[in-house]
Amino acid sequence: MAELIPYAACILIAFGIGSNDTSNALGICIGTGIIKLRKAVLLFGCFVLVGIVLQGQRVINTVGKGILEVDLSILSVSLSISAILIILSNWKKLPLSTTQVIIGSLTGSGVASGIDVNLVSLFKIVFSWIISPLTAFVFAFLIYRLMEKTLSRLSLFYIERTLRFLLLMSGILVAYNTGANELATVLGPVIYSGLISKMPSFLLGASFVFLGAVLLSNRVIETVGKGITALDPYSGFAAQLGAGSCVLLFTFLGMPISTTYCIIGGISGVGMVKGMKTVRTDLIKRMIFNWALAPSVAFLSCYTLIRILRYWS
Amino acid sequence: MLLEKVFSGGKAEQKVIENIKEHIRTLCSASDCFKKAIEGQDKELMFCVPDLEREGDAIRREIISTIYEGAFLPFLRPNICRFVEIVDEAFDVLEDAAHVFEYLGTTLDKEIEEESIKIADMNLKMCEMLLLAFETLFSKEDLREKNLAIRIYENKIDDIKFDLIEKLRKKEVNNFWEGKMLSDFISYLTHVSDVIEDASDYLYIMNVSLR
Repeated sequence: MAELIPYAACILIAFGIGSNDTSNALGICIGTGIIKLRKAVLLFGCFVLVGIVLQGQRVINTVGKGILEVDLSILSVSLSISAILIILSNWKKLPLSTTQVIIGSLTGSGVASGIDVNLVSLFKIVFSWIISPLTAFVFAFLIYRLMEKTLSRLSLFYIERTLRFLLLMSGILVAYNTGANELATVLGPVIYSGLISKMPSFLLGASFVFLGAVLLSNRVIETVGKGITALDPYSGFAAQLGAGSCVLLFTFLGMPISTTYCIIGGISGVGMVKGMKTVRTDLIKRMIFNWALAPSVAFLSCYTLIRILRYWS
Repeated sequence: MLLEKVFSGGKAEQKVIENIKEHIRTLCSASDCFKKAIEGQDKELMFCVPDLEREGDAIRREIISTIYEGAFLPFLRPNICRFVEIVDEAFDVLEDAAHVFEYLGTTLDKEIEEESIKIADMNLKMCEMLLLAFETLFSKEDLREKNLAIRIYENKIDDIKFDLIEKLRKKEVNNFWEGKMLSDFISYLTHVSDVIEDASDYLYIMNVSLR
């Protein structure tokens, strides 16, 4: 019976990823009419599966066995707390990173259980959280500069056509990363605890991400779609591709990072090209606050819960 | 199939582009017809202007509805719609000039005939230049050259307009309506170039908007 808890938590988190991250990946394409919602959701689901099958292994290794040896109690507490925090943050519209919440929860549970936490591995992950938005910033900056020197020289309608294609490609890249990095972070501990083998977990995880996308993503996408009319597709593409390439790079390195923070880094990079005044510093401050808040709250919640459970048993 | 649609530009986009070209060509035809009617002092021929204006209206409605159905990236849509509306405004002003022409006497006064024909001719050339300017949005040609040519024509028309106003001030008129119609005719005739210049400026804005 206790084994069902991690399964249920995983399903909830995967469902949450599907409902929220479809808009991260293909919201712009849907809002701009490049692709219809149904096709976008199907494309998203397919590339999430392709991402985790082709490239999820490294992140799975890092999260599943690189930080600590997980057992059933650690897995149950950390994934349940993660699921609750992610649902609460979605409900309260506070942008918390799934990756950070899961890593914070696992570390908190491990420390409270007296299990050795690999500090080198943990340091690498935290360091990657710091440098990944900065890398996305640099990537987006360079991509935008490159576009100014190449794409801008083409005729208007050719730019428009090319941008439609490029926006779709960068959306697919973000969908691929969602599988290779974010879903891999969720499934890593479950696979290494021995509850489920790789391929069934990939299929199950991707299916629930797809289900979340089918059932709930339309509301998030509608918001993005309505807001998209004022969006400059040129900047949007540079920011999205900058973020997508950055997540892909860190996925190669096996580092679980947040796509959302990379996108914020990418947007700031494009803003930098247009002048520092266009970058909203209040938003950056809030991002830094949330960046520190998500793993801290997850760590403390799991630490406290494990301590209480141990005290009562 | 999806990629092909995305990369080659959808049918809706092609339809809008073709319709915009047709819209400008119709404006050229209306301007040409207007010029011929003035040259020949032919009031019957002038009826072609309202006919072509109605045709232009139908094309404009089709363009706007195709864009509303989702042609082009949203960032570009309001700019294209605005451009089409400005071209349509040029039709309206030309139609107003054609209507007023009907109320003028049997023939145009000799003092203003020559200048009016010159303006009508330059209006036609500006429309043709606008079509060429729109076509540069698909090629590597420089839009600024066409833009500059349109501005030069507009400046020339402005100079002629001031001469015409001077002539009108000195002209004896028999009654209020004769003076008003003559003044309105010159006003509408010279305003067409202002609107075409606005359309050309908007093309320039469109061209830099996605860069």
